[in-house]
Amino acid sequence: MKYSMLLAALLSASTIMAANEMAQPEVITTTQPSMMQVSDSKKEYLLTEKKDVRISVTGQGVAPMNTVSPAQAYALAKRAAVADAYRLIAEKIKGVRVDGQDLVKNMMVQRSTVRTSVDAMVRNANIIETTFKDGLCEIEMEIMLSHSQFAH
Amino acid sequence: MRNRDGNYAFSLSICSLILTNSLVLDASEYLISYRYTVQDAILYSEKLQVAHAMKKCEGKAQKPLILESYADNDLQKTLLANSNEFIDYIHTLGLHVRHRSLTTDFQNKSTTVLTLKTTCFKVDFNDNSAIIAPIK
Repeated sequence: MKYSMLLAALLSASTIMAANEMAQPEVITTTQPSMMQVSDSKKEYLLTEKKDVRISVTGQGVAPMNTVSPAQAYALAKRAAVADAYRLIAEKIKGVRVDGQDLVKNMMVQRSTVRTSVDAMVRNANIIETTFKDGLCEIEMEIMLSHSQFAH
Repeated sequence: MRNRDGNYAFSLSICSLILTNSLVLDASEYLISYRYTVQDAILYSEKLQVAHAMKKCEGKAQKPLILESYADNDLQKTLLANSNEFIDYIHTLGLHVRHRSLTTDFQNKSTTVLTLKTTCFKVDFNDNSAIIAPIK
């Protein structure tokens, strides 16, 4: 009797934990793209019917030198930061094409070239927070991915 | 002497042609495209293009945006006056991202282009406002 009650309590606790896990979307946060790729290789995020994935990125943009007012500088830097955030989201969802070329002559590297490219369509991305300090604008942006968006 | 009544049929046909065209070309539909380029984290260029639709767009009007409009039914002026709101709205519709970066001997150059492909919008001008909705 004592063991059966203990088993029942354990089962109910595990059910509650599983329900909590299903309710919260998985979060992926990105600030530095190069560091992100290293950390992501350790864990694979899967989009399932019961679990949404939230991708959060921080884009950075700089104001040009020849602005006429701080307001213009802010507006231009913000636009650049939004583009950077969109690019990070596209990299996360669709992936990056990487082409590398090294020229070696007489056992020495003469020239090293790496080309990366991303092409994607991003919709329903939301700006969470915007900061502007010392000419640098940072935008935190997130996008929710659900299974139904891709199940066609 | 030339008969003045002879021009009546010609004038009538011209008028009917104009009337037919004005009915066929729905004046409240516009084609809008938007593109901006960021080079090395700095905004390089931005272009918003607006044109009347020459033929009727197919589809239903989606989520609308209401803008203040003081220009006399001029969409271009209305969008320029409310550019921040409109560009934020465009972002919610979805943009195509095209990014290229080149790293040569550890020096990086990058270009990111965000594009709203040419989209048909239904525009209704009221007294002091314009209601803009994409047609999909």
